[in-house]
Amino acid sequence: MRKILLTAALLAPVLLQQVAAQNRQISGRVTDRSSGQGLPGVTVLVKGTTVGVSTNSDGSYTISAPSTATTLTFSSIGFVPVERPIGTESTIDIGLATDSKVLNEVIVTAQNVERTRNSLPYAATQVDGENITKARNPSFINGLSGKVAGVNIRQSNGIGGSSNILIRGTSSLFGNNQPLFVVDGVPISNANTNTAGQQTGRGGYDYGNAATDINPDDIASTTILKGAAATALYGERAGNGVIIITTKKGRKGIGVTINTGATGGRIDRSTFMKYQKEYGAGYGTYYEDASGFFLSRDIDGDGVEDLVAPLSEDASYGARFDPNLNVYQWDAFDPSSPNFGKARPWVAADNGPEAFFKTALTLNNSVIVDGGTENGTFKLGYTSIRDKGVLENSEVNKNILNFGGSLNLTPKITVSSSVNYSRVDGKGRYGTGYGDGNVMTNFRQWWQTNVDLKEQKAAFERTGRNVTYNFADPTNLTPIYWNNPYWVRNKNFETDSRNRIFGNAAATYKVTDWFNVLGRVSVDSYDEVQEERIAIGSVGLSNYSRFNRTSREYNYDLIGNFSKNINESISLRGLLGANVRRQQFSSIFAETNGGLIVPDLYSLSNSVSDPVPPIEDETRVGVDGIFASATLGFREMVFVDLTVRRDKSTTLPSSNNTFVYPSAAVGFVFSELLKDVSWLSYGKVRANYAEVGQGADPQSVLTNYSKVTTYNSNPLFSLPGTRNNPDLKPLRTKSSEAGIEMNFLRNRVGFDFTVYQRNTIDQILPITLSTATGYNSRFVNSGEVRNRGVEISGFVTPVKLADFSWTVNANWTRNRNEVLSLFGDFDNIVLATYQGGVSSNYAIGQPAGIIRGANLVYKDGQKVVGANGYYAQTVSSNEIIGDPNPEWTAGVTNTFNYKGIGFYFLLDIRKGGDIFSLDRYYGLATGMQPETAGLNDLGNPSRLPISEGGGVILPGVLADGTPNTKRVSNTNFGLYGYRRNPAGAFVYDGGFVKLREVSLSYSLPTSIVSKFGAIRGVDFSVVGRNLWILHKNLPDADPEDALSSGNRGQGYSSGSFPAVRTLGGNIRLSF
Amino acid sequence: MVLATSCVDSLDDYNIDPKRASVVPSTSLVSSAERELASTLASANVNTNVFRLYVQYWAQTTYFDESIYDINTRNINRNFWSALYRDVLADLNEAKRLITADNSMDAKVKANQLAAIETLEVYTWAVLVDTYGNIPYSEALDFNKPQPKYDDAKTIYDDLIKRLDTAIGSFDKSAGGLGAADLYFNGDTGNFVKFANSLKLRLAMTIVDVDQAKAKTLVESTVGKLISSNEESAKLTFLGSNPNTNPLYVDLVQSGRYDFVGTNFFIDRLNTLKDPRLGAYFKPNGGTFKGGIYGVGNNYASFSSPGVALEDPTAPSYLLSYSQVEFLLAEASARGFAVGGTAASHYNNAVTASIKRWGGSDADATAYLAQPAVAYATATGDYKQKIGVQKWIALYGQPVDSYREFRRLDYPKLTKPEGALSNLPVRFPYPVVEQNLNTANNAAAAAAIGGDNVNTKIFWDKF
Repeated sequence: MRKILLTAALLAPVLLQQVAAQNRQISGRVTDRSSGQGLPGVTVLVKGTTVGVSTNSDGSYTISAPSTATTLTFSSIGFVPVERPIGTESTIDIGLATDSKVLNEVIVTAQNVERTRNSLPYAATQVDGENITKARNPSFINGLSGKVAGVNIRQSNGIGGSSNILIRGTSSLFGNNQPLFVVDGVPISNANTNTAGQQTGRGGYDYGNAATDINPDDIASTTILKGAAATALYGERAGNGVIIITTKKGRKGIGVTINTGATGGRIDRSTFMKYQKEYGAGYGTYYEDASGFFLSRDIDGDGVEDLVAPLSEDASYGARFDPNLNVYQWDAFDPSSPNFGKARPWVAADNGPEAFFKTALTLNNSVIVDGGTENGTFKLGYTSIRDKGVLENSEVNKNILNFGGSLNLTPKITVSSSVNYSRVDGKGRYGTGYGDGNVMTNFRQWWQTNVDLKEQKAAFERTGRNVTYNFADPTNLTPIYWNNPYWVRNKNFETDSRNRIFGNAAATYKVTDWFNVLGRVSVDSYDEVQEERIAIGSVGLSNYSRFNRTSREYNYDLIGNFSKNINESISLRGLLGANVRRQQFSSIFAETNGGLIVPDLYSLSNSVSDPVPPIEDETRVGVDGIFASATLGFREMVFVDLTVRRDKSTTLPSSNNTFVYPSAAVGFVFSELLKDVSWLSYGKVRANYAEVGQGADPQSVLTNYSKVTTYNSNPLFSLPGTRNNPDLKPLRTKSSEAGIEMNFLRNRVGFDFTVYQRNTIDQILPITLSTATGYNSRFVNSGEVRNRGVEISGFVTPVKLADFSWTVNANWTRNRNEVLSLFGDFDNIVLATYQGGVSSNYAIGQPAGIIRGANLVYKDGQKVVGANGYYAQTVSSNEIIGDPNPEWTAGVTNTFNYKGIGFYFLLDIRKGGDIFSLDRYYGLATGMQPETAGLNDLGNPSRLPISEGGGVILPGVLADGTPNTKRVSNTNFGLYGYRRNPAGAFVYDGGFVKLREVSLSYSLPTSIVSKFGAIRGVDFSVVGRNLWILHKNLPDADPEDALSSGNRGQGYSSGSFPAVRTLGGNIRLSF
Repeated sequence: MVLATSCVDSLDDYNIDPKRASVVPSTSLVSSAERELASTLASANVNTNVFRLYVQYWAQTTYFDESIYDINTRNINRNFWSALYRDVLADLNEAKRLITADNSMDAKVKANQLAAIETLEVYTWAVLVDTYGNIPYSEALDFNKPQPKYDDAKTIYDDLIKRLDTAIGSFDKSAGGLGAADLYFNGDTGNFVKFANSLKLRLAMTIVDVDQAKAKTLVESTVGKLISSNEESAKLTFLGSNPNTNPLYVDLVQSGRYDFVGTNFFIDRLNTLKDPRLGAYFKPNGGTFKGGIYGVGNNYASFSSPGVALEDPTAPSYLLSYSQVEFLLAEASARGFAVGGTAASHYNNAVTASIKRWGGSDADATAYLAQPAVAYATATGDYKQKIGVQKWIALYGQPVDSYREFRRLDYPKLTKPEGALSNLPVRFPYPVVEQNLNTANNAAAAAAIGGDNVNTKIFWDKF
């Protein structure tokens, strides 16, 4: 619970009287005894007087003590106070021991105000950098998963893919629900450029979200502010919570920390398909030979018709495997194949699609050099993360350079700056969703079980061409539906890069010891390019597209901080500030038209037809905010917070663009009154209420026309899909929260219990309209969503001995959201529609994002079977078939320490949250899973014709409740999948229990380290991530895998990627 | 503070999109609507236009879901609905609004432009009614009425005919109209008027079974004002490059897929009749023309696939063809309407026009018509059957029209395939999202038409 404070001159309260001159000067440095780091913000007091100072950013202090002084006291929250006789010394250095009281940790709150936890009247959770990087997760967002109550993180399994973060549920129906990220006071973009098509499973790539550009090794701590009372000072973007990241700061002297680590990953087989091994390619008895399962052609020219596999068919409802049957398969038509012109036994493949996955490899190296003197500190860090995925030709490399420094120009003026440069290069990110760019669509939905992946690989490597198993016909060797998967990965790959700089320059002027002024300019600027390719020779048209986007955000802040003890009992602190924010986003998308001319040349000019004009977008946002806050403290027991902010936003019509919102919060540390109750170490109750206003998405006000490609020199224009609204007004979130925190038994056990409610009203919705209105959607102000929930976190240290300790931390979150009202007479609005006849919806009285589609019919809990022997379907295709919101989530960590050895593991748990699986909707129809084959109730292969004892009696009852006895055929495709079953039959519970992180670490004892000269510490660790899914209900797939971040696509799974179990090691050297 | 707060006020232009037009030439919206309309009608995309399957011209190869009437999975009924409302009618309506508000125009040109737009709107509304029955009409195309009520299909038809009459009356052939922005007739007002009259003929004949007297009056009022040659047919000739090619080119060629083959039901008939259009309609397979089985999987290589003529990116999409006009006149004549000529003469003209449109010669037509199975006098059945079968053959390039005429004339007799999920649809159900977005009105409409399912007939579909 060690805490590195920020620039103390700015932030530490200097509450104490100034002293007269001509006293004796004592100086020194206060350090953390465990780490040797300087401790800023320590109160140094002449005992028995009010004379005192605070230590500066590296822990140094100078105090003018009256000649009568005999003793100095050093106190800092989180550390055991020390009294030290002065004697004759003029330099007093001191090391403070950590106080195990978790509650008194210093927490970074809104606008970088540092406060002790006991003074906070709202919920805030701080996670140390150490805890985020414990399992060496290259994404700090994923490193938070399961560690914080109220925060739900859903990661995708794609390389460098998106992470969806929700704090206290979905509140904005169509807008952004992701929290605001603030690094050292700089709001940074977490934008996701994935298209609506990508997010709804229609193919494309997941380019991830931009906040992952932050270097995990540079994070000192992360504070998660959940409710609006905690975040309101950040303004309109803070309604979804704020994640405040404080980066590491330099220390006095010179220090070097080096981390080097590597992890390897293999897919978790429980999250991938298992295939039946009884039947091969085909949809059934539709083809040419007598059985109907095969093509019948004379391949060898002997005048006799031969059996040929139905190459064009992407299903496995074909002929039963029989090693005595010789069949011409795809390789018989590849002249480069050793099997060219040869028939082969009709058997299941030795190497199914599971052979496609490689071992993922991540190399993570970082070095941070830091240092400082009396007058300043600096830090310079470099991190390289090289990530190769489980698919061929996939890599995402990050190079991140951080600089931070501060300088005390004069005793009153401190300047500081931080600069973060990152470059992320991606190549071969996984194709997502449904489409031939995603090999998972092929493997999970449309596959031939007789095709051997290693042979497909050999064919691609032999020829460099798209020699696919899925030729149109023996006489037409073009790929029909699916490319050779190795071709897809090696030829149809995307590349992308993002160059980014964010940082700030700030100056603080200490006007008096109780008032200072901060001026800060901060920038977040990046340029990204995404290029996608479809090579000549692929299924469909070859293509090249490029998307260039620039994002700029500038913030100018002027903040006055004051802090004063009015008398012995009452303290007052607060701030007054102004923020000017300007954002500019500019993008251009262009692609070739009608295919490519020259192979392997990816250029817009290499287009068969003239490219259509590129799509340009240019949006700007300006928001001006002024804000004030005051915290009144009474005897370190009662704290009252009041804030108010006014924003003015260009995204709203000018007549309606100003909005003011307040917050009020109170905390009562009742344990201060119960000091004689020995088992109670700490107790606080708190309650708060806040509102946050918010503007619209840019350019939601005025309506323009869409340009359609010119027709023979005739201009074409069309009305846009979305009708804008010149009467928009700000939306408003009203949030209230109450909680209690208690620690017992000298802080060996504790809990934090919070209840909250958040209502978001006057939502700005691009409400989906009946297209009979001429539009897809229209922006309106309407609708209310309520989120209410409970967050519980607790810890217990069951064992604490001199050499050994065991600590358990746990958190549990339950959020319930409900759509209270929509627009006009609408009782349902559609968020997104998907392949499979399902949609995400908001319906009054229902949780956000419910899934609708046709459903099975149930009678007394049993599936109803129609007279035809197939499952009955609801008349309406519009039944509620799933709720994607989890019932609750939880995380449990266990930490064991024995001397220098640490062992830690985290269980991440989600209960409930429905998922519609398009993979199973199609995959079960095309006969890939074992349950589509096998024996029936008579002990015969179910795929035999009914006349030969095959067929299946589907379990269920007839409409009258009597058991179904009708036998239906399972010879041709479809019985178990989409063709004969409604979407509701493919909805699964998305709950899971995952062993998310494991780490075993060993720190060399100081006695050994000291022999290495300059080296101060050596730590080894073995880390594992996602090693084991202890429980899940979604067959064949990872219930957590998501298409993208954002509101769309939640609870919809298509072309899902398996989870990757990661294991590796790391060495940390400190000098 | 003062500085900061005055800032946003000076940034009014932040709400103006610097990359999109707020003012456009009004006729450019008509061009876009015309292109969308012609594309939607011609498309073979299984997400939008599946009527070539429903009338059993084509069977599918591997994925035959649409052939067995799976409408939901691909939201086909929604896509067709949206294409017509949002991409055609909304833009026509907007163009009408802009032109009406434009006081600087020549009055005659303005009247011609508005009449042309009105004709295109009537055409599109009729397709919607013919497909769904009762639809949002009087309250549609207005974002201020997000939940428009559904109007009665027959009432809409009556209004459409009235509007079309008014439009026809307001054309002035001596003046220009939409000019080059009219992608169908390149601004030829005379041909546009013929199109409008031919549409009137079509609408009148569509309601003939429910109101013969009204139909008769209407039909007879169009005589002499109709499309009278293939050249005058209402059509859009597509361009050679994307995105302005015939959508069939995209579906059949660019997609690289092999999804469709002819049905044996259709090809066997063409074979039997020695139809000269066969070689244009389909590709031979092993020297002969062979159809697959409708409603099951078919091996692409074993059967005749759609012909080369359909793979031409510039192939036109017909909205109303001369052949169609002659078939309508043949039927009118057979019903005793005074349209000049005889049922047989119009029938012969219709078949001849179709054969020539598909590249055949007059001699081909003559020989074809001379066969007893084709000749009007000797072909099997009553006039509905004679005309129905030949019209079905002729409307191969106009699947939406063909689907309507098949339902109205009840020939040829089509049967649903064995594995069908429903009966052969005689209408599309309303898009599922309409149930969510316009719940009460949608439910009322479903009740009014007698059930929102594929078995509910459109009001004119009496038999």
